[in-house]
Amino acid sequence: MKRALRICASVVALAAATATMTAAIPVAAMADWLEDAAKPLKGTEINGIFLDRPGYRAIIKLLPEFEKKTGIKVNYEIVPYENAREKEVLNFTSRGDLTMALVDLVWIGEFAENGWLVPVDDLAKDKAITDPDLNLKGFFPLLLDAFGSWGGVTYGLPFDNYSGLLFYNSCKLKEAGFDKPPATWAELKDVYGPKLTDASKNQYAYALQSRRGETQSADSFMRFLWPFGGSLLNKDFKSNLNSKESQTGLAFRQDLMKYMPPGDVSFDHAEAVNALAQGQVAMITEWSAFYSTLADPATSKLGDCLAVAPEPAGPAGRLPALGGFSLAVASQASPEQQKATWLFIQWATSEAIAKAYVDAGGVSGRMAVYNDPDVKAKYKFVEPLVASWQAGVPEYRPRFPAWPAISEIVAEWGSKMMLGEVTVEGGAKEIGTRMEQVLGKEGYYDGKKKLLQ
Amino acid sequence: MSEAMRAAPTKPNRGYGRWTPLWFLAPAVLTLFLIGIYPTIFALVTSFRRYNITRPREGFPFVGFENYVAVLTDSTFWSSLLLTAKFYVTVLPIQVVLGLIVALLLHKPGMGLLKSLARVTLVVPLATTYAVVGLIGRLIFNRDFGVANQFLSFAGFGPVDWLSTPGGAFAAIVIMDVWQWTPFCALIFLAGLSMVPGEIEEAARLETSSKLALLRHVQLPYLLPGLTAVMILRSADVLKLFDMVFVMTRGGPGSATDLISIYIQRVGFRIFDLGTASAQAILLLIITIVISRLYIRLLYREVQ
Repeated sequence: MKRALRICASVVALAAATATMTAAIPVAAMADWLEDAAKPLKGTEINGIFLDRPGYRAIIKLLPEFEKKTGIKVNYEIVPYENAREKEVLNFTSRGDLTMALVDLVWIGEFAENGWLVPVDDLAKDKAITDPDLNLKGFFPLLLDAFGSWGGVTYGLPFDNYSGLLFYNSCKLKEAGFDKPPATWAELKDVYGPKLTDASKNQYAYALQSRRGETQSADSFMRFLWPFGGSLLNKDFKSNLNSKESQTGLAFRQDLMKYMPPGDVSFDHAEAVNALAQGQVAMITEWSAFYSTLADPATSKLGDCLAVAPEPAGPAGRLPALGGFSLAVASQASPEQQKATWLFIQWATSEAIAKAYVDAGGVSGRMAVYNDPDVKAKYKFVEPLVASWQAGVPEYRPRFPAWPAISEIVAEWGSKMMLGEVTVEGGAKEIGTRMEQVLGKEGYYDGKKKLLQ
Repeated sequence: MSEAMRAAPTKPNRGYGRWTPLWFLAPAVLTLFLIGIYPTIFALVTSFRRYNITRPREGFPFVGFENYVAVLTDSTFWSSLLLTAKFYVTVLPIQVVLGLIVALLLHKPGMGLLKSLARVTLVVPLATTYAVVGLIGRLIFNRDFGVANQFLSFAGFGPVDWLSTPGGAFAAIVIMDVWQWTPFCALIFLAGLSMVPGEIEEAARLETSSKLALLRHVQLPYLLPGLTAVMILRSADVLKLFDMVFVMTRGGPGSATDLISIYIQRVGFRIFDLGTASAQAILLLIITIVISRLYIRLLYREVQ
């Protein structure tokens, strides 16, 4: 009996040791590989641009580990999102000092077509500086496709990853008699809207960040096209905004405004998140990255009332907002800097540090980390996030170089629509006409450019 | 003796020659050329080229007046310019009147310490960065916890959607601009008032008890050069007003606060069409010069 017990104990101990070792192998292997690869690059300095958002704060927290292992110095400048593209474009056109490009989903076409990025394939050819566990298939395919690829070539690895999610105050919903969030946009407006809105108490069902700029075009206007079967462009790159489906979506947004707080049209991300965090609204659709702000007692009153679900579905299905950034190697960097930057990008987006990155407040693009039971249990956003990334539209916002010009047109006329200065139909027509002028000038209608978005 | 001394030939000063003034002037002229003239010439040349730095493969060819034609036929450019003019004619009279009132109060005799303190505090808004003024504005005009609505509630008015309605947003940027630039007008007018000779002012006070008559006939001539300067500087300033408005409203909602500088920045640094943006900037420069000449011709009078 004693012997049997001893054998059992040995087996359990062996199993535990094996499990521990297995878990530790990727990190250890990564460390060994990284240290070896970085030896000839010790002392190299690389330069990049970061934003003041949770994903960047997370990697900054982990950075000392990378610098210690590799001896590579990572210099970063934190800039507001609104200035990030301007900074990078000016740096790349003047052959500046950036060795790493931070690429928003909508900048990939512009950066890739101008030759400012080095394709991942070119870098991965050099086995000495490529992680044996790079495993590009380990990224959510939607993210790798949308954030890092252009014209079938991969340039960047998904780093700061967002999906639109429905954040809601479960306590308020319960008080109003709802034990689950709305599954469709129609339900949100027609069932939840009236019950959760009481203007006399300054209480509203829903807030939508709609401030003029990329917030209006990306977060507000486009959000109501795809789930309703609409889109910005048709297959010939002509405006599709006056199609029945697009018009339905945009009219829906207009109608939904009666359940939004006054002044919603000037709300940026901060105001929308704050409206939920401070109890003015019951629901918002926001980027997954704002989970940490809403869960932090220092910035939110929600506490255990915070709940997260996928964005509601429309008549065309669940097609939530998609956004995020990849990191890519800048072609203007010297060969040594390109190698060092490639090492950093692989490390920052690796499976090996994915859990630490999530724990530090980031949202990894690696699928494996979200299978971790600890991560699943600890972060309420995981399940809806993973569900949202199963299907989606990479061209949720067109990623071609003309987007910044079109975004400005959409931002102006989209907010005029919300204010009632133009009708939904009139505004859509105006955007369409101006957008087609931009696309015509770009050469999309005379065959000079491929219809890529 | 003194005649003899005067007649004696003077020794040439070795440290001073024909070119000496040039050496003293050279650093200033060079600096002015580098930071003022060269960028203007560059903008002028760029305005005749197709110059989009995000399309380097297309090159930067000369296109004659193409950019100018595009600007002059662009309805958004004209509506932004019109809005800027509306902003200017709204803020300037308020700033001039308030500035004059403040200057006259500070010009009154007595309460020396308080006046010195007031003069110093007048500099605070002027020294505040535009972007910070915009941030302060966003807080003041926040619908739910802003000070503006708090004051209105004391007077029994309901909350106003300052930044989310076209009228409210325009009013908000007007108020912030008035807050920042009224002290400038006050200081300029105060300098003008201090130029009025004391005996003339005293004599005038004995002649009339009407403060308006005193202002009209004695003080105003000394204020006109300052007023001309205020108008020239403020018109140039309003045409390039960007940071405060961008931080507060980003030109929205809709195009309610889309001043010309916001529009040019968008064309130049969002779309990176520097050719068109340069053409717009050159046209603005021409407008500023014409307006300044008009002010000088119509208003400026040397005090006799």
